[in-house]
Amino acid sequence: MSDTPNNAILKADHINVRFETAEGPVIAVDDVSFDVRPGEFLSVIGPSGCGKSTLFNVIGGLLGSYQGTVNVAGETINGPHQSIGMVFQEESTFPWRTVTDNVAFPLELTGMGKAQRIEKAKHFIGMVGLKGFENRYPGELSGGMRQRVSLARTLASEPKILLMDEPFAALDEQTRLLLGDKVLQIQQELKQTTLLITHNITEAVQMSDRILVMTYRPGKVKRIVDIDLPRPRTSEIVGSEAFGRYVAQIWADLREEASRGMREQEKHVMDEAPQG
Amino acid sequence: MSAQAQKRASFADYAPAATGVGTVLAFFLIMELLVQTGMVNRFIVPPPSEIIGSFGRVIVEEHVFSRFLQTLIECLTAGVMLTVFGVAGGVVMNRYKLLQQACETWVAAMASAPIVLMYPLFLVIFGRSAWTIIMMGFLAALPPVILKTIEGISGTRKVLVNVGRSFNLTPSQQFWKILFPAALPNIFVGIRLGLIFALINIVGVEFLINYGGLGQLINDLAERYDLAGTYAAICFVILVSVLFFMVLEKIERWLRPVD
Amino acid sequence: MAETGRLTKVATPAPAIAPVTLLRVAIILALLAIWEFLSHSGWLYRDVVPSLLAIGRAVVELLTHGEYYFNLGVTAAEVGFALLIGGGGGVIVGIVLGANRFLAKAYEPYLYYLGPTPKIIFFPIMIMYFGVGPESKVALGTLSCFFPVALSVTAGMRSIDSILIRVGKSFRANSWQMVTKIYLPAMRHPIINGVRLGLGVALIGVLLAETKLSNKGIGFLIIQAYSIFDMPRMYAMLIVLFVLSIGANALVGRLGGLHTIRRI
Repeated sequence: MSDTPNNAILKADHINVRFETAEGPVIAVDDVSFDVRPGEFLSVIGPSGCGKSTLFNVIGGLLGSYQGTVNVAGETINGPHQSIGMVFQEESTFPWRTVTDNVAFPLELTGMGKAQRIEKAKHFIGMVGLKGFENRYPGELSGGMRQRVSLARTLASEPKILLMDEPFAALDEQTRLLLGDKVLQIQQELKQTTLLITHNITEAVQMSDRILVMTYRPGKVKRIVDIDLPRPRTSEIVGSEAFGRYVAQIWADLREEASRGMREQEKHVMDEAPQG
Repeated sequence: MSAQAQKRASFADYAPAATGVGTVLAFFLIMELLVQTGMVNRFIVPPPSEIIGSFGRVIVEEHVFSRFLQTLIECLTAGVMLTVFGVAGGVVMNRYKLLQQACETWVAAMASAPIVLMYPLFLVIFGRSAWTIIMMGFLAALPPVILKTIEGISGTRKVLVNVGRSFNLTPSQQFWKILFPAALPNIFVGIRLGLIFALINIVGVEFLINYGGLGQLINDLAERYDLAGTYAAICFVILVSVLFFMVLEKIERWLRPVD
Repeated sequence: MAETGRLTKVATPAPAIAPVTLLRVAIILALLAIWEFLSHSGWLYRDVVPSLLAIGRAVVELLTHGEYYFNLGVTAAEVGFALLIGGGGGVIVGIVLGANRFLAKAYEPYLYYLGPTPKIIFFPIMIMYFGVGPESKVALGTLSCFFPVALSVTAGMRSIDSILIRVGKSFRANSWQMVTKIYLPAMRHPIINGVRLGLGVALIGVLLAETKLSNKGIGFLIIQAYSIFDMPRMYAMLIVLFVLSIGANALVGRLGGLHTIRRI
């Protein structure tokens, strides 16, 4: 397995992010470096408060002030880059647009003709399994369906790298597993380079080639785990023994961080208590 | 260190307000310059300095204080009528659901009609008197008071109504001990809106029919072609209405029970 | 079969006319009866309460003469221009203030407190600037409707879900695309609501200005009817005017209600 930077399509180099808060500066991301290879599915996992959403915003180009560089296909990013397509955790469809018009949104921005962009939108709507719902408004769809619309919208912009921030966090467990299957299937079909931010171990192991485990505040890279499970995969793999071993291994890492996080938050509450 | 931080914070707090005031001052200064240099005709826009200068003259010679009192009394009379008839109307409509279903949309529709255009009609009925002005202010401001009262009473939280039921309150106890107090914040909002509409319409009608307090003053000065005086009077009326608005807000916040 | 039978038995047969409709008709009839009684009683000054027949005749007379439609057109055009200039300015100012916290803190209080002041008192100034023609009415209407539109768009900008703005940025939308494809559609409800308020006050501003000084427009016709003491005609004009303005208001509201979608 070659690990040369030349091979990487995305390269994060010594990323540092600090926030000024009322109680002084907080280091959200501490010297994080990693590569994403073409066609690879990489997950970033960590407990709440490890700065993974901050990392998502840095790579997506939505956060202005940080140290370090992010390179995409050899270019240093400076604001949102056209090679990166983002899928957000929150409900983010446009309620005033139909499913088709939602998915065609990025194409509309580039000035593509109407007939052509509708054609293309239909293709991606079919890909996420929403055929027949083209003319519905998001308000008429379920939460899982709306998240698929968001995914199709991002795919329609044909990004080199798909960047997702806990896209299934707001969904129930069954929907989450089925949607995970859909994402896996699409990713394998398109050979889509994907970077997934998550706190869900099952989800990460189910989909990833590699998993980057982060520490609780300040967020550092704790370990990078190669997931050597056969492809193509589906959610059925969740039952296998190898899968269980990976989950146990990553939980052991995360458990330490999550409990440290909990202790620190409790201490924080205790410190605050006398004044409150 | 902390004192410094505090100082910086307070400066940041005042900067926007200072910008606002600065813009207003700069606007007056630029107007003054434009008029003084003849780029703007001084017979259309008097220089701001002249307007400020004529404030004293207008206040003393035109009996601004008694005019202000007159407008205020008209306004308060309309306000009392609004409170009595508006709140009662809302309560009655809420009490008889069928009546509410039949009439609420009518009241809402009246709120969007230019009621003040009826002033020539009231001029015929009441003549050029204070009653024409008061009735106009009252009628134009009535719909919001009724609507807010209904909204307040019917918006009472279900659990409070059930608490009342659990104590076996009579219907009148239920109204006076539960529904009405719960609706008070909304009723205050309605009365405040009503008083603002009343003031706007009262000053407007005074101006239009050339009778009464502050509105007539502006008409008078404009007809005499006292340019600086007209501007000064307009400024004065704007100032009075802004103060009226602020005072009502304060009173409402003071009366409003904490919830 | 038995099930259907039971269902029909439980369901109360719908009355031929809903009680609400019945009450409405009763109220209207009662008011009309009182009115007609007053007009014939002679208790009130002559013609203050003209008979329903006279008012009805006046309405027909009004609506069958071209003169009314000409004046209606003048007023509608004045209101339209006022809404276009004042409302358009309000939208722009609202977007700027809603997007910039500093500017909002600096200028929003002025909008907030100047909004509910009487605007008709500016009419003498408007006449000096724009003359006695329709321009001064448009100016007054513009001044009236600027404030409610600006205030409601400012509030609307703040209520935009920030995730939608992040989506736009992530797709690298430029400023123009952000405004036309994200801000404006996301704010359609507050904007429509502002336009509704704006339409109401612009209409009042224009009509009052017409009653004060003009030679055409609905306001002029009303004050003309007053000056020749033609009460039935005045009632007829007020009735038609109220119906039109309530209708216009409902129409704007209906437009804004399109695709009202629940959001979780």
